[in-house]
Amino acid sequence: MSIVEVRELSVRVGAKALVSNVSLDIEPGTWCTVVGPNGAGKTTLVETIAGLRRISSGSVSISGRSIAQMNERQRARLVSLVPQHPEVPLGMSVKEYVALGRTAYHGLIRAPSQVDRDVVHSVLARLALEEFEERDVVTLSGGERQRMVLARSLAQSTAVIVLDEPITGLDLRHQMSLLELLKTQVHEGGLTVVATLHDLTLAGQFADRLVLLDRGAIVLDGMAGDVVRSPELAQCYGMKLRVVDVDGSDVVVPVRS
Amino acid sequence: MLNTDPPSRRRVSVVSVVTLVALGGAVICGLAIGPTPIATSRILGFLLSRVGIGHSTLSTLQSTIIWQLRAPRLVLGLLAGAMLSVAGGTYQGIFRNPLADPYLLGVAAGAGLGATFAIMDVGGGNYTPSWTPLLAFAGALAAVGVTWAIGGRGLRSSAATLILAGVAVSALLTSMQTFLQQQASATSIARVYIWLLGSLASASWSSVGLVAPYVLVCIAICVACGRALDVMSVGEDESRSLGVPVRRVRIIAVGASSLGTAAIVSAVGLIGFVGIIVPHIVRLLVGTSYRRILPISVAFGAAFLVFADTIARTVIAPSELPLGVVTALVGAPVFVVILGLRRQVAR
Repeated sequence: MSIVEVRELSVRVGAKALVSNVSLDIEPGTWCTVVGPNGAGKTTLVETIAGLRRISSGSVSISGRSIAQMNERQRARLVSLVPQHPEVPLGMSVKEYVALGRTAYHGLIRAPSQVDRDVVHSVLARLALEEFEERDVVTLSGGERQRMVLARSLAQSTAVIVLDEPITGLDLRHQMSLLELLKTQVHEGGLTVVATLHDLTLAGQFADRLVLLDRGAIVLDGMAGDVVRSPELAQCYGMKLRVVDVDGSDVVVPVRS
Repeated sequence: MLNTDPPSRRRVSVVSVVTLVALGGAVICGLAIGPTPIATSRILGFLLSRVGIGHSTLSTLQSTIIWQLRAPRLVLGLLAGAMLSVAGGTYQGIFRNPLADPYLLGVAAGAGLGATFAIMDVGGGNYTPSWTPLLAFAGALAAVGVTWAIGGRGLRSSAATLILAGVAVSALLTSMQTFLQQQASATSIARVYIWLLGSLASASWSSVGLVAPYVLVCIAICVACGRALDVMSVGEDESRSLGVPVRRVRIIAVGASSLGTAAIVSAVGLIGFVGIIVPHIVRLLVGTSYRRILPISVAFGAAFLVFADTIARTVIAPSELPLGVVTALVGAPVFVVILGLRRQVAR
């Protein structure tokens, strides 16, 4: 049974359809990446799956429950979000920031329980953030900061995690290490990942499945290797693409025409 | 130089203790300082005798001065300072805007118009001073209500829409107030003007009794919002994804801050700057967590206003400086210093 079920989903703002008639089933413990050119509706789609956008028609269910029927707290225990531009509040320690992920469990009045503190502790350890835990969040480098945002998401202990361009602004090494970290969570923790990525090579290498979106609609949905080699991909971007095999991994290269 | 690392537990404890000591000092100043000198020890004896311990050594006149004049004024000052400070801090958290103050959504302009109506006696008949707080209270609540109706309703209304609606409503009400004043006699204008500057001089146990229930409940609600405001420091969308019902929290926090502020303004007029500088000073001392800022602002603001009032009623005794003038005279330079410190941090 799929853990994320998107049925004929449309999201409109005014007369403009940002996402139209999208249906998608995502199996638990898999990684699904949405690719497509700028303005294709990737962010809108994944934010809707995370429950942040108003659904115009259709439905999104997680673990068999419609997200539109849930309140914020119930939803935050099922799906978490790593936004493209996370807001980093001044004067908060890394540990306090990661602990925000437990809000849906202890609520807005009560203090975090021992379980909450244990979860935060174990996430900090898993993501090698322990040495920073007392540092002010604004003093972290881009790579450390993004790892911290991922830690907050993991602290939410959700079955599904949604990431919107999680590696924007990171150098190559940090891009790879963040994605590897996430991949480990998928393999070991049975986490389901729904992500958007601009980098087609990394998208192909890390995802089990790619969904190609253009003008709000799904153009192609399939195994990563098939989608990167498809003529539709090049068509959507309006340019020539070549896929090169490097030690068994697909590398997508743009070609000047 | 300002330290941007989260403050240690120890520093927070020290600041809390110092603030409580200052609050105690403010209470003593409020009761002991005045045109009739009365020794602090005898005042303490009098207070203890009121709760049934020992007996008072004060004369009847002295105990009347303490109990009927200074005590209600002290209590009203404590309530006003606490409420305005916690409301300012709450607004700053909700709107994530360091310039937010308790008058942001039109409370001041609404109360000002209400008071002008009462003082200028727009309805005809004679001027009755007791109408002023009632109309000011009604005006303040109506203004916030209109602001909310305009700025808070739309499907994806943001905090910024609400602030802009507050600006528009304030401008409209202030212009109506100016129009009314322009038609009024010089005496009425003087009365309105004095009311606008804010003062604790008319404090009595009955005025304390009138506002205290609202104000205490509102302070408690604001302080209880601390944890929610901390989560909301990551922005609207992210806090929703963390499980915070942002709209509901905003309604509760803005409602409590506005209601409490309206009650205070109706009793003491417009006292400026307290609501903006107290939370900022506290933030510099204990860091950015609203779970610390809000409760400490309650005590700090209460002490600050009582000290300011002590200055207001003593420096040119027997007449008084307007309290709003004193808070701004102290507040403006402090504010400038804070801005300077912030610039250094940003570098």
